[in-house]
Amino acid sequence: MQQQEIMDRLQQVFDGAFLDKVQVHRDLSAKDVEEWDSLAHVSLILAIEQKFGIRFRLGEVEATKNLGELADLIAKHLAKV
Amino acid sequence: MSVELGMKLLRQYIELADPAFASELAARTTVANDFADVLQLCTMRAHARRKGLFPRQARSCRLAAIGGANLHPLVDFVDHFVTVLGQTECNTWVGDYDNYYSEILEEDSPLYGFKPDVVLLLPSERRCTFKGSLASARADQEAEARRAVDDMLQLCETIHARSGAEVIVGNFRLSPYFDPGPLRSTSLISDYAFRKFVNMDLGSRIPAFVHICDVEFLSNRRGNLSGVDDRIWFESKQPFAPGLLVDVAREFAHLVSHRNTPAKKVVVLDLDNTLWGGVVGDDGLEGIELGTTSPRGEAFRDFQQYLLGLSKRGVLLAVCSKNDHEKAIEPFEKHPEMVLRLKDIACFKANWEPKSDNLRQIAQELNLGLDSMVFVDDNRAEIEIVNQFVPEVSTIWIEGDPSDFAPRLKDSRYFETRTVTAEDLLRVSQYKQETDRQELLKSSTDMGSYLDSLDMIGTIRSFNKLDAPRIAQLIARSNQFNLTTRRRSEAEVLAIADDPHYSAFTMRLADRFGDHGLISIVIGVVQGREFLVDTWLMSCRVLKRQVEEEVLNEILRRACAAGCEWVVGEYLPTAKNGMVRDHYTRMGFAKIGDAPDGSAKFELDAASYQPIPTKIRLD
Repeated sequence: MQQQEIMDRLQQVFDGAFLDKVQVHRDLSAKDVEEWDSLAHVSLILAIEQKFGIRFRLGEVEATKNLGELADLIAKHLAKV
Repeated sequence: MSVELGMKLLRQYIELADPAFASELAARTTVANDFADVLQLCTMRAHARRKGLFPRQARSCRLAAIGGANLHPLVDFVDHFVTVLGQTECNTWVGDYDNYYSEILEEDSPLYGFKPDVVLLLPSERRCTFKGSLASARADQEAEARRAVDDMLQLCETIHARSGAEVIVGNFRLSPYFDPGPLRSTSLISDYAFRKFVNMDLGSRIPAFVHICDVEFLSNRRGNLSGVDDRIWFESKQPFAPGLLVDVAREFAHLVSHRNTPAKKVVVLDLDNTLWGGVVGDDGLEGIELGTTSPRGEAFRDFQQYLLGLSKRGVLLAVCSKNDHEKAIEPFEKHPEMVLRLKDIACFKANWEPKSDNLRQIAQELNLGLDSMVFVDDNRAEIEIVNQFVPEVSTIWIEGDPSDFAPRLKDSRYFETRTVTAEDLLRVSQYKQETDRQELLKSSTDMGSYLDSLDMIGTIRSFNKLDAPRIAQLIARSNQFNLTTRRRSEAEVLAIADDPHYSAFTMRLADRFGDHGLISIVIGVVQGREFLVDTWLMSCRVLKRQVEEEVLNEILRRACAAGCEWVVGEYLPTAKNGMVRDHYTRMGFAKIGDAPDGSAKFELDAASYQPIPTKIRLD
């Protein structure tokens, strides 16, 4: 899957999870989005896993600094499938 | 409609502020079963609320959730399901992770400050484990499991005592892993067997204000392996994998919304292509598909078996079919593979009138509300007509494959009860008796010949020890046909039985269709030359059956035997006994006094009394 396609799908997940429109981009992180608290984070990650049909390993998501790195992680998992 | 398309539609409705949003949201929520979809629906509901597109529900509920895990987003999903599907506005309060002991035990905890109507309790699964010696005796293992249940019940009791709230407690899922092998099924030292025992013991001991969210069952249903996700436990203390989380949220919400909804009492069945394959009117008795000679025939037979099982649980079966009556009853009478027979059907309507009319008729004849009925048909058009014209009736559309029919009913959730009482088991035969009597009443030309044909037998007995519980029950419950509404305990009934100043008796009634049991009670007091009727009551089931007349005959027999010259009766009005205001006058008494509160006294001369002839034969 191309980077752009991954970002598009992430946009769909964000649209489903947050009330206010959040435009996804590679530098985006939780501190930029008011609604993205620790509770929302749990739901967001579960929804992303389901959307892409992948499963992150324990600790992997925590290690990503922004959405760009998360997208790379998603790409890595997709390549394994 | 695909999930994607449904979500898109909802988005459009929000953008256009289309009021169709609310019903579409409910439809999408009903079928959504994966995590991301439910999350999205929650978000859209919040959006719509902001835009004034999703009105507040009229009912509301204060819902607290506590437990040994992170209860977000579980509770957010429960909130969504209760609001959208249960049409109840939810106010939620969520306890801290694994802090439920102190939240329950500390009197000034915020749990009680919140004043919840319902408390969801999801106890810690990890703590529900056998802690004794692996070599301990079975009895010790069981004792430990029971102590774990004692502990949970104690928590529930405390919650209820301090807040008055009902408690919905989640039980435990079972491990999907092979470890520890044979011990899993032979000893409670495995978590698997320990939790299974705890679940069973908990279920058999819960008080009325506790309901169980059967997580064990939900996890089994989905597949235990797919319900486990240890990674999200370690990362964020989520109790379940996302899919099971949705199932559990849905079930908690179902229990919140339906904990006091009574189960449906009647299932009304179509015949052709519902109870058998084919059309009996066209294909004839030999042409219909039913029985073990073909796979489809076997499936129809199996469906009938399930229905018979429902009826044994106390659910009435009725038939509503577009057919000639004679043709329709033929399989019930003659087909060797029919499981259901006419005796199993409480009410049978086969004619060419609209089904909506027939359903109203059935409700009337069974004396049950339309909202206690479920209508089952394979014809979509009939289902639509019923939905439109008698919306109180719930409907199940079964189609095509008869092997799907029983599962459709089994998953409908209409027939769930917490207990089965002896009364439930009798209900089916009692209703059948009542409809048979009504049939007879229709075919009889006048009341006299109808009563004659009932072959009624009455039994009159003085109060005695054996009858005392039933006498006390009837005295406590009778409101309508009750002249004085004087309540008496079982102990008082026994005292009256032994006191020679009283002349107290009961009457039972049976007829050719069945036994009504003990249905009328009189307590007379002999005061010199006067026989005072202190209590006279009767079950309304036997109105217009000449029981009143037969009871009066007995009163006079007893009055004369005691040497009394007149009988005095009283009427004390209540909100419910208006039907007997003129009872004594109807029975030939003369009014001798009345009071502004509506009470009155009546008198009847004993010497000149002629017994009233009735159609009841006294035993």
